[in-house]
Amino acid sequence: MTPQTLPTSGTRNGLSSAEPAIRVVDLDFSYGDKQVLKDVTLDIPANQVTAFIGPSGCGKTTLLRCFNRMNDLVPGARVTKGAIVIEGANIADREVDPVQLRRHVGMVFQKYNPFPRSIYDNVAYGPRTLGESKKAALDEVVERSLRRAALWDEVKDRLDDVATGLSGGQQQRLCIARTMAVDPEIILMDEPCSALDPVATARVEELILDLRQHYTIVIVTHNMQQAARVSDRTAFFYLGEVVEYDTTRKIFENPEKKRTLDYISGRFG
Amino acid sequence: MHSETPHILREFDQAFASLRNEVISMAGQARLNLERAMQGLLERDLEKCKAVVADDDEVDEAELRIDRIGMETLVRFHPVASDLRQVITSMKVASNLERISDHAVNIAKRARKMITRPACPEVPFIEPLYALADQQVRDALSAYTDRNAELGQSLQLRDKDLDKMHKRLIATFSARLEEGGPEAEDFLHLIFVARSLERIGDLAVNIGEDAVYLDSARDIRHEKHRAPAEEEAGE
Repeated sequence: MTPQTLPTSGTRNGLSSAEPAIRVVDLDFSYGDKQVLKDVTLDIPANQVTAFIGPSGCGKTTLLRCFNRMNDLVPGARVTKGAIVIEGANIADREVDPVQLRRHVGMVFQKYNPFPRSIYDNVAYGPRTLGESKKAALDEVVERSLRRAALWDEVKDRLDDVATGLSGGQQQRLCIARTMAVDPEIILMDEPCSALDPVATARVEELILDLRQHYTIVIVTHNMQQAARVSDRTAFFYLGEVVEYDTTRKIFENPEKKRTLDYISGRFG
Repeated sequence: MHSETPHILREFDQAFASLRNEVISMAGQARLNLERAMQGLLERDLEKCKAVVADDDEVDEAELRIDRIGMETLVRFHPVASDLRQVITSMKVASNLERISDHAVNIAKRARKMITRPACPEVPFIEPLYALADQQVRDALSAYTDRNAELGQSLQLRDKDLDKMHKRLIATFSARLEEGGPEAEDFLHLIFVARSLERIGDLAVNIGEDAVYLDSARDIRHEKHRAPAEEEAGE
């Protein structure tokens, strides 16, 4: 049905904004005997921010982690039905190389996790791993990534300082810069602001809104207001199923399903 | 869509109940003021006219209370979807009720002046306009309290009947005013009373439109001036 290899270049390969960046088709996923995703079907549009919301254990993070095969590391975790199509390839297929996939699909985690190295080395890590060794090229990637992460002005005079000395918000933006350094098309964010104070959260949210012109962003969040503020589309998950998926405006103004309304308005039992 | 399931935070439900009760109570007071103002005019009852002017403060205070509860609810609970519409709509309905009560005061003040003069036989001409305006207010409030979009939307159409009746009355009273004579001042007062009743009809339409938004999230205001594409975007 689809080719099982992803293009090796970092370009968008002619992906138009009308074409979904990620297509999830009839997806079932299990951890051993426990099924955690059931018949999930949704198209995630390119260059938009899509938020996954739902109570703990609803499957939203599991689906997010399927998009760059992070679940491969979990024993017994597997897609049991359906497909996840990115750039024409079913990335749920074990034949797709997860390392290659992660060049296209980057991830930012709940807890900021810079390497205990310099700010420069953190951002240059990805390109170096991919074989880039020229100083000028690395300098250019580091500056571009830090600028996109709205961090350049804050760190340009101390690129050699250890990254863990930055504030929490700066460390998270550095992680976003590190993700962008390998020029992915898609950035996954798993509760990226849950460990940040309101000011740092606002900076990251502002960054997310800026970044969607370059990237497709999928964000998992428990913060309803954050989903309403930063996302274009929202999917509400419950017990492994997508209950409702629509524009964020529709979900937060007038959802179709009572279960969605009850959850977003704090009525969920 | 609206949910009857209670909120996890009980205080959220308490704030909502408080908001709703305040609006219902304010609506009762505003309607009572209008009723007494018209009785004052039609029955030449000075005490009722005085009571309307005196009690208007209660309506003003109710509006302030509703705005305060609404603001607190927005700040504390960040309501969304139908909850957010409930808060916004309640505050807007309160504003319209305050203006209805202001018009009742205007009518009462006109009536107070007319009572000091010989009875004008044309005063009852205004009664059908009042009946229609009052019916519109009652239906608007039912649409709001029952979340009835259909009833709320019907007010726009019926307002046209009220406008026609108002126009006819103004023509009649203006003609009599132009004739001059000792009753000219009464006709001037009646023109202003008719104008207040027509405005009350408009305010009822506003409440009806808010009820439509509350029930269905559709914004039907100014629809006749909107291009079809704009209407779709709004939905």
